[in-house]
Amino acid sequence: MSLNIRPLLSALKRNPTGALLVALQVAITLAVLVNAAWIVHQRIEKIEQPAGINTRDTFVLVVSGSSNKFDIAAAESEDLSYLRGLAGVAAATVTNGIPLTGNGGDTGLYLHPGERGRLVEAADMSFDQQGLKTLGVSLLAGRNFRPDEIEPYTPGKQAPAAEVIVTQALARTLFPQGSALGKTVYGGTPKTIIGIVSNFMGPQLGTPPYDTVIYPTLPGQYGGYYLLVRTQPGKRDAVLHEAKHHIGAAHRYGVVQYTQTLASAKRQMHSANRNVAILLVIVTALMVAVCCLGIFGLTTFNVGSRTRQIGTHRALGARQRDVVTHFLVEGALVLAGGALLGSILALLIGNWLTAHYALPRLNLAYLLAGILALTGVGELAAWQPARRAALIPPSVATRTV
Amino acid sequence: MTLSEAAMLRMQDISKIYRTDLIETHALRELSLEVRAGEFVAVSGPSGSGKTTFLNIAGLLETFDTGTYELDGRDVSRLSDDARSRIRNEKIGFIFQGFNLIPDLDIFDNVDVPLRYRRMKAPERRKRIESSLELVGLAARMKHLPSQLSGGQQQRVAIARAIAGDPALILADEPTGNLDSLMARQIMDLLEKINAMGTTVVLVTHDPELARRAERNIHIVDGVVLDPASQSHLPQPAPQVSGAAD
Ligand SMILES: Nc1ncnc2c1ncn2[C@@H]1O[C@H](COP(=O)(O)OP(=O)(O)OP(=O)(O)O)[C@@H](O)[C@H]1O
Ligand SMILES: [Mg+2]
Repeated sequence: MSLNIRPLLSALKRNPTGALLVALQVAITLAVLVNAAWIVHQRIEKIEQPAGINTRDTFVLVVSGSSNKFDIAAAESEDLSYLRGLAGVAAATVTNGIPLTGNGGDTGLYLHPGERGRLVEAADMSFDQQGLKTLGVSLLAGRNFRPDEIEPYTPGKQAPAAEVIVTQALARTLFPQGSALGKTVYGGTPKTIIGIVSNFMGPQLGTPPYDTVIYPTLPGQYGGYYLLVRTQPGKRDAVLHEAKHHIGAAHRYGVVQYTQTLASAKRQMHSANRNVAILLVIVTALMVAVCCLGIFGLTTFNVGSRTRQIGTHRALGARQRDVVTHFLVEGALVLAGGALLGSILALLIGNWLTAHYALPRLNLAYLLAGILALTGVGELAAWQPARRAALIPPSVATRTV
Repeated sequence: MTLSEAAMLRMQDISKIYRTDLIETHALRELSLEVRAGEFVAVSGPSGSGKTTFLNIAGLLETFDTGTYELDGRDVSRLSDDARSRIRNEKIGFIFQGFNLIPDLDIFDNVDVPLRYRRMKAPERRKRIESSLELVGLAARMKHLPSQLSGGQQQRVAIARAIAGDPALILADEPTGNLDSLMARQIMDLLEKINAMGTTVVLVTHDPELARRAERNIHIVDGVVLDPASQSHLPQPAPQVSGAAD
């Protein structure tokens, strides 16, 4: 069938302004649509991913110094022995961050000495031999830290940490082939992987959710520490209450800044992800709607300003469906032009997001689906005015001068 | 040979009423007429008498309320919209007072419009476009836009477009209405040339000079053909009608 594309294109070339503007709008909408859908997909995936830790019975006490006379190392060991002796406590440790909350640190690990080769970024946590038990994380290979390997906090000195434990996910990222156990990674000093544990969500700082490295050092360089406590089932709130009071009164120069249960941390993380997803969906839906309005408006304008031409086409033999096709093809040309530009834009934005926000590389299936969806709704938007054009009677060819 | 066998256009008691909320306009009142194949007929009559209505119905641009209409031996009174489009495309060539060229398309593409709707192959279309532009003397202007041509030239392009599909019937509504008399004569020459090649021509015109050049004159007044005798083959002198445009 001879779709009248060439004459349509030459007509478009003579009056390009409106079509170009709408094509630009299509391009921007497509770029936002595709990347927003990709981000939403990641967020939903995060909501569906298991935390991998016992969030039900675990809470955090945040202790911070009120003056620089606060002896952090002494306070940490004092608090730990109090907590470990407290009725209802199953395990307790001191850490540098809180899982699921965005509070914590991250580390760059290299596969070769001298910080050469591939750099793998991961969240880091530091805690002692009770850390795994407190989180409810299980050892899959190798061993836990021994008490004599734990480096207490020393002001002004960054503990070297010669042994580390990694999650299964990080082990695979570091060593996609073969076992990571016993291998050495480099970040400041060489570190030997002595244990691999089940995946759990670390502090969630933008690195892949399960990639966490654990150091056998106790924290304190920021003037405080997090006490992570796991209780026996059902005892969480009572223990939290009691521990907060005791520790709040125990240190002359230190205070309990706040407490948080991991159950609420998980809820907050999920609702943050959900809110981002909802916001993106709303913004994108609005942009798509405005884009459809653009196509609708352009087609309506073209139909309105070409009434006599349409009548002439009808007089010369165009069927109603030829008129509909005419305007749908015209819309499709604008959409195709916009989609072409929009694809480039979408990939550029996707690359930028990958580089700056640790978003996985844009899946091209999303781009393809975005093009199809936007073209589809765009054609639907053009359909109504195209249909109205088809109903213009052929007699306007002779009746309008 | 009977008349009906050779009739290109035969209308019997055609009525057309335009209805608006307030008034009914009886544009045609049981109008009957016949145009034989190969004839050149000029239609005249006062303004508002129903000439355009007649031509629109003849060209299947409008439907009518009562009566029957046979075009080239086929009853076309009740056809689907698609079938009417197809007959317009294949059997009829229109020439409009306002030329009705598509301003965004060059001359070549303008003449191409009806041929594309006919789903003709490109080489065949090119051949027809070139030969019809040749006939109207505008083969050298194929890449021009309508706005780059004079009114007379634009109307010649419209004539090329009307004949490119080799129609049996040419319908022209005041084709010279927007042109000076010199241009008008040129257009008339072309229509005569086309008629001489065997195409039936029905021309609505206010211009008595042009009307006289037609084989036969038909007068429509108040929605009816004024004198049934005008159905005869002989050219008739235009009867004096008060309010007639001439
Ligand atoms: N779409 C319409 N709606 C209502 N009335 C109409 C319509 N078209 C034509 N008429 C009326 O029908 C009558 C015949 O109109 P028509 O256009 O056929 O006249 P005409 O002979 O071509 O006139 P003119 O010489 O001015 O072109 C007129 O009274 C006109 O007002
Ligand atoms: Mg008229």
